[in-house]
Amino acid sequence: MVELKNVSVTYSSGVDALNNVSLKINDGDFAFVVGSSGAGKSTMIKLLLKEIDATSGSVTVNGYDLGKLKQRSIPEFRRTLGFVFQDFRLISSMTVYENIAFVLRVIDAPPKYIKKRVPYVISLVGLQSKSDSYPDELSGGEMQRVAIARALVNDPQLIIADEPTGNIDPELSYEIVELLKGINDQGTTILMVTHEHDLVRHFGGRIINITDGEIVFDEVITGINDEVTEEELEQFEEQQALSEPVPVSTEDAMIDEVIARINAQNHTDQGGY
Amino acid sequence: MKLSGLKYLAGQGIENIWKNKMMAFATFCVLLISLLLVGISVLFYVNMNSMILGLGSQNEIAVYLDPDTPKDVVSTFSDRLYEIENVERVEYISKEQAYARMQSQITKGQAIFSYIDGYDFMPDGFSVTVWNIDTIELTTEDIANLEYVQNASSSTQVAEFLRELRQVVTLIAGAIIIALAAVSMIMISNTTKASVFSRREEIQIMKYVGATNAFIRTPFFVEGLVTGFFAGAGAFFITWAVYKAVYRIMHEQGALMNAFGIGSLIPFENIRVTVAVSYLAVGALVGAIGSVVSTRRHLDV
Repeated sequence: MVELKNVSVTYSSGVDALNNVSLKINDGDFAFVVGSSGAGKSTMIKLLLKEIDATSGSVTVNGYDLGKLKQRSIPEFRRTLGFVFQDFRLISSMTVYENIAFVLRVIDAPPKYIKKRVPYVISLVGLQSKSDSYPDELSGGEMQRVAIARALVNDPQLIIADEPTGNIDPELSYEIVELLKGINDQGTTILMVTHEHDLVRHFGGRIINITDGEIVFDEVITGINDEVTEEELEQFEEQQALSEPVPVSTEDAMIDEVIARINAQNHTDQGGY
Repeated sequence: MKLSGLKYLAGQGIENIWKNKMMAFATFCVLLISLLLVGISVLFYVNMNSMILGLGSQNEIAVYLDPDTPKDVVSTFSDRLYEIENVERVEYISKEQAYARMQSQITKGQAIFSYIDGYDFMPDGFSVTVWNIDTIELTTEDIANLEYVQNASSSTQVAEFLRELRQVVTLIAGAIIIALAAVSMIMISNTTKASVFSRREEIQIMKYVGATNAFIRTPFFVEGLVTGFFAGAGAFFITWAVYKAVYRIMHEQGALMNAFGIGSLIPFENIRVTVAVSYLAVGALVGAIGSVVSTRRHLDV
């Protein structure tokens, strides 16, 4: 579970990155965090990783009050999380197997368990044949799948994915989110930061929009892949083109508006999962 | 941590040397050169010191006994001299030898000896050499205070000069060694920093997946330890070869060696173990510590 209560972050340069943000992500949720560059998404991720501390307010992740967490307890806390980064962050000198096994070695898992668990996780992301390959022998999509397997291997309560599709082909992006969705179906909470609105539209779920350090939108929407066909979408877009233009200040706000309208059109329940 | 974990980390350390062979080689070279610079300077100083001591050992205390000292006292007197702490060697100079020496020194007026009947009037004497030239004055006094000693004398000027010479050599050599050690530490620190810097991302990833600082540092420690150990071994073999060559050249300089005393240069066999252990221990330690210290700044994520 992730809970931010009245969190503000002001950097030493005087920039207010987050401003009185409150947010709760329950166990088993899948949430997209969207927002333009500089909106405060990265700051939020840093807060959740305990890379930085909140200037005010409280941050609780997986039962750890990060404001009170001592330096020496950070490794223990981070073992309850899985991370997926835009730039994959695989250790280039280690094979796929070793990159994933490393997480288990950190927690001093028995070698027998490692030998069993790692191939299983590799098979979940479909990279059995690449087990002994090094990261630079893999494609972007494959590297991200390794990163997801690494995030998954110690069975974390929460996976934080920071722009996991940012460095891969659009068609592979869907595959990656599908994979994360599949993991979420098994009960792992997923928090995915992205600025790819197509993906958000496609998959739906809980959307948290951060703009200028504040949460301006936090709703659950239904993905168009479930409820809206391509035909319906085209029809909707035609209608939009004929109607008066929506006054929007940013691209994000416009997309949010569109998403909300799609949902309204489909009479979906916005109360929760 | 379990044994399997430790084994894994040690294995990682060794593996990392191979995986990062260019940086490991750079660290090895810097450590090797640093060890050689400091090691050879220390050996140079030790030999220099030994040579000056060799010069000093030729400075002797002349001891003369009362002419009427009983014969049994004379025959056991060298034992009494050996009881004095600083005494290294005692050579008995009999009345006869003393008489012969006097005869050889007085080249003019040999006729005087025709008036002398026998050499009984000459005192029994001892030539005493000391371990430490610096305290020769005190030793001379101690000897002079012994019963039956008529006179004990030494050249304090020579002793004084040699003491000052040794002080100057120690000061200069000390300064050079400290400077070299400091330069070496800076070189080693920069090389290990560069080596660790090239792997900072790896360290950060490890931190993100919840690795403790000790877990991250252990392979770096092993890596530095092994690299330093091999640099120490390399430095030892190079020193051995250089030392042997210089030793041989010096020994061929007969006149020079006679001036300093044949035994003044320390044969490598006598210090081989000390040199080897020092090189290996210092190399391994500096390598390991340098490597671990350099990881510190990257661990704070």
